[in-house]
Amino acid sequence: MEYKNETVSIEGGWPMEHWQWKFESLALIRKTLEALREKKLLGLKCPGCGLVYFMPKPYCRCLSIPDEWVEVKDTGTVTTYTFTGAWAYEGIADEGPAGTPLIIVGIVLDGTDTMTVCTLSDAKPEDVSVGMRIRLQWPENPEGKLEDLAYCVPL
Amino acid sequence: MAKSEVAVAGVGLSKHVSKRRDVNIAELVWEAVSACYENAGLKPKDIDAFITGNMPAFEGVNLPEEWGAGHWGAYGKPLLRITTGGTTGGSVAHGGYYAVASGLYDTVLAIAFEKQSDGNSTAGLNTVAIADAAAQFALGVDPAFLAAFGGGAVGVAVYQASSYMKSSGCTTQHLDKVAALCRNNAALNPYSHLKQPGLTPEEVAKTVLLQHPIRFGHVCPATDGACAMLFTTGEKARRLVDKPAYVLSVASCSDEAAMVGIAGSGTTNVDPCTQESCKIAAARAYELAGIKDPRKEIDLAEPYAPFAHQMLMFYERLLLCDEGEAPAILDSGSMNLDGELPVCPSGGVISTNAIGASAMERVAECAQQIMGRCGERQVKKEVHKAVAHGWGGAVNLNVVAVLSDTPRR
Ligand SMILES: [Zn+2]
Repeated sequence: MEYKNETVSIEGGWPMEHWQWKFESLALIRKTLEALREKKLLGLKCPGCGLVYFMPKPYCRCLSIPDEWVEVKDTGTVTTYTFTGAWAYEGIADEGPAGTPLIIVGIVLDGTDTMTVCTLSDAKPEDVSVGMRIRLQWPENPEGKLEDLAYCVPL
Repeated sequence: MAKSEVAVAGVGLSKHVSKRRDVNIAELVWEAVSACYENAGLKPKDIDAFITGNMPAFEGVNLPEEWGAGHWGAYGKPLLRITTGGTTGGSVAHGGYYAVASGLYDTVLAIAFEKQSDGNSTAGLNTVAIADAAAQFALGVDPAFLAAFGGGAVGVAVYQASSYMKSSGCTTQHLDKVAALCRNNAALNPYSHLKQPGLTPEEVAKTVLLQHPIRFGHVCPATDGACAMLFTTGEKARRLVDKPAYVLSVASCSDEAAMVGIAGSGTTNVDPCTQESCKIAAARAYELAGIKDPRKEIDLAEPYAPFAHQMLMFYERLLLCDEGEAPAILDSGSMNLDGELPVCPSGGVISTNAIGASAMERVAECAQQIMGRCGERQVKKEVHKAVAHGWGGAVNLNVVAVLSDTPRR
């Protein structure tokens, strides 16, 4: 008898509805997303230690439950960054970087204590640095989606 | 604090390459296990308990111990599987330590492995990222949108490298130097994967830029390999081998996940290079080991560094110098095999990364350097105390172990 030399696939999946928290993480995020339509940024403040979460989080690292909605600014500071090289989404491209490198920055919005990632537009890779100031670039008509927060520009 | 003496009396490693098509998982692991039995002078009947671990889902099979246990000599024995992502091997070693230190078992075989070529590591990583991303998918976010921010397996590391380089003054030339140092050490290690004798920093600098600031030459390979370690009481270890390596302490610390935060909510871990949890774990491990000044007392370090900047970053976070000093210490030659505090003498994770085994192989290298069993890569200085480290989870879990040539007083 011979062993088969082939790959066998068996179907599987991750049901997304199983990932909700008792404290309704999704409900919190939905409220913040809904406010984006009015170009408002809603963070959630912890009563125990004062940390402000954006996106909102159902529990704080101090184990209190953040419950105060606060409006935060659309300006912030770059904490870290990268830009794409030969790494394409599928893996390593055969030949060097294709097209314009995408600059991705980690930012902390003013009035928050959390990092979020964002694409920096209107800048060249050599202009980016840790500590640089940025402003979110709102779409003309925000749709209340995470993608509304996808871009920022140097301040 | 446990009072009992715990020692390593044997270490076994399989051959490490990118694709072991000649053996299956159980057989690959057996190479490490049988070598460990051999150099500790023991047989399976002498083992009281087994601890195993690998990265879940990377091979596409789970509960590997269910069909591996018999092959490794574990039938009829207590067996525990520990799996904590990149730190898995370190946690398995901690498990071996706990089992003996608790007084429950005298002789414990700890086994960690990965056979990456059997599965799809990207699919495996997705099972990790799902905790971060699930809420966003549930909200209808396009997975491609998230992938753009993640940047694949290099993802977290590039953000960490950028902020570390800013805060420490580490340059890309330092990254090139780290890669060259490690791959040259690996060339002297028969169990390493990427052996590049004579590799120069200039050659590393010419490799393709994957994602700023990380080049191809700054990144670990994907490896098939296994590691086994025998943990036993100090008394038994002294009977088994001439020079056991004593485990003085272990400590671990988990921090908040970094990057997008669990379930897409915010994370206050705003800078992936701070690694507070590493500093906390290191301080605890030194305290438990009775080490007052790690800079003077530690002779050798095996930080977990699949990416070049991490060797310097974790050297600092293991409290072996002030923050921002590591690049200059690298330049001084102190981290070389013949230096004052050799770092990654094994060649490090950047040269060999069988993920589940990697953090244990840090502990194994410290033990073997203390036991004087490292052949060509044996460091010049005498090693009295060494520190082994592992890093994993959503860039938030750090594990530290301190080993010594003499038992804790
Ligand atoms: Zn709090």
